[in-house]
Amino acid sequence: MIRCEKLIQEFGNPPFRVLHEIDLKIEDGEFVSISGRSGSGKSTLLYLLSTLDLPKSGKVFIDEYDVCQWSQAEVHSFRNLHIGFIFQFHYLLPELTSLENVLLPARNLGKIEEKTPDALKILEEFGILSKKDSLPGKMSGGEQQRVAIARALIMNPKFIFADEPTGNLDSENGKIVMNILKRINKENGTTIALVTHDQNYASRADREILLKDGRVQ
Amino acid sequence: MLFLTWRQLISRKKQTFLILLGISFGTMLFISISGVQLGLRSYISNQLLNNTAHILISGSDRNVDSKDITERFYRDQVVRWIQEPLGKRGEVRLENYQGWAEKLQQDPEVYDFSPRLSVNALLSRGSFSAPVNLIGTLPERHVKITSIQNYMREGDFLNLKGGAQKIVLGSRVAKDLGVRPGQLIHVNIGEGESQGFKIVGIVHFGNDQIDKSIAFAELTKVQLLNRSPGRVSEIAVSLVEMDKSSEIADEWEVLGKDKVQDWQEANKSFMEMIRMQDFVRYFITTAILIVAAFGIYNVLSIMINQKQKEIAILRAIGYGPGKIMELVIYQGVILGIFGGILGVVLGFCMCQWVGSIDLNIEIGGSNHLIVSYDPHIYLIAFSAALLASILASYFPAHFASRLSPMDIIRSQL
Repeated sequence: MIRCEKLIQEFGNPPFRVLHEIDLKIEDGEFVSISGRSGSGKSTLLYLLSTLDLPKSGKVFIDEYDVCQWSQAEVHSFRNLHIGFIFQFHYLLPELTSLENVLLPARNLGKIEEKTPDALKILEEFGILSKKDSLPGKMSGGEQQRVAIARALIMNPKFIFADEPTGNLDSENGKIVMNILKRINKENGTTIALVTHDQNYASRADREILLKDGRVQ
Repeated sequence: MLFLTWRQLISRKKQTFLILLGISFGTMLFISISGVQLGLRSYISNQLLNNTAHILISGSDRNVDSKDITERFYRDQVVRWIQEPLGKRGEVRLENYQGWAEKLQQDPEVYDFSPRLSVNALLSRGSFSAPVNLIGTLPERHVKITSIQNYMREGDFLNLKGGAQKIVLGSRVAKDLGVRPGQLIHVNIGEGESQGFKIVGIVHFGNDQIDKSIAFAELTKVQLLNRSPGRVSEIAVSLVEMDKSSEIADEWEVLGKDKVQDWQEANKSFMEMIRMQDFVRYFITTAILIVAAFGIYNVLSIMINQKQKEIAILRAIGYGPGKIMELVIYQGVILGIFGGILGVVLGFCMCQWVGSIDLNIEIGGSNHLIVSYDPHIYLIAFSAALLASILASYFPAHFASRLSPMDIIRSQL
């Protein structure tokens, strides 16, 4: 479960308030979409909920642990084991093949051999097994994003945070990505928080959170 | 992280190769410059040691002292010299050879010593003559404290022993006079009649200056020739540990009036030249390595800027700042190690090549430069390359590890 209390985030100097005292709760196994116009603070909120960023004030609890109190090592270990990130840009390492990219989180834990069968299975499910030895530069945008999703899934995380995962894709590939997310949510019980500005995608979530000017509507 | 580091390096082959070249060039230059300099130095040191041994004890020059003379001859009278007496008082000789001999025999630091009497002599055969520095020595001791046996071109230095008057000539002396071992030569030291000495050996140091002006004979024969039995002008001392020579020389200096010089002191200008060379060598190498280090620094900094996205995702996946730092620093370490190894190999080849050039001038018995292959040179060169690479990668690595993933992601949007 993820919960935040009176979350405030400000940027710049003089400080500009992006989020105004957000209170919010995401239950385990829930598929939540966070939507709003650009500048509404939806990505900022996602990064605060996902340990990537620290708030100006307010608190974030993951499974009742106060995230802000964690040390660097604890944060990184938690991300490694329990969180999968999907970004608008795939952020694949260009020197590594898609299989190696998928296994990056496992590599950090020294579990490559253990996780290789899983990785191959996921790639197969995503229809990109034939590309397992290709470098990202030799793949299409949709394929790259699927590799990135596979990377987010490899440790079988409890939470997945997706920031506009379809933003860079055509509608065909966008649909594929959304279907994958829905299926993971259903089959694995993974908690998913999806940021999107596209109403069609947002409405496919269990629950929609609409942000406007840094406030929940 | 080594895996990732390696992948990143080989994905930038050209850059990696160029940096590697930079580092190995620095290493190579250090090795070849050091090899030549140290080779030359060891050759010259050897020559110097042949002359002076580790410590040379000699009589100090005693000059006429007008004050001393005034006091001695005129006591309390007031004397003003119109022309002050000056010049040397007699010959340079050791004040107390017996005392020294006893002390040196008992000193555990002393390996061996050899008394000498050197006089200026004119060698002649037929109508040709050559001025030389004739050194009277004890042959069996002389070979123990110097490596003169290695420089004997013909005959054996120990042939000097025995009753008859025998002499060993420098190679140029022999050549100029056109004499060979077994022949007789006349020696004149300016007093008395010239005497015949039998040539029993030719020594060739490979240094023209020395080879054309040196001759050796047994100490007692030279003493007789000089009409000064028992006189010794210097004692060459060889120590158990050469490195202590300066320290021990200073200690002995205070024991008496005689001049005690270690071989470095006796060859001051040479030692200064060596220091200068060392400075130049280290300066050049440091400059090259700094350039190479800046190359590493630049490339890694640029790489980090280009790879911010990847650093961000690694952080999001759970790679902590320490891992990011490793990623960058390993690149520096790998470049340093491989550049260093390549440089050591290239340096060795360079030394081989330099050592094989025919220079047409004679150095130490051959026409080639003497190159030192002292392992220390290679060790220092490699360590310097590695250190420069690690230092150069540390700063970009530190910078990369401090990048916050959020800042990077935000800047991408």
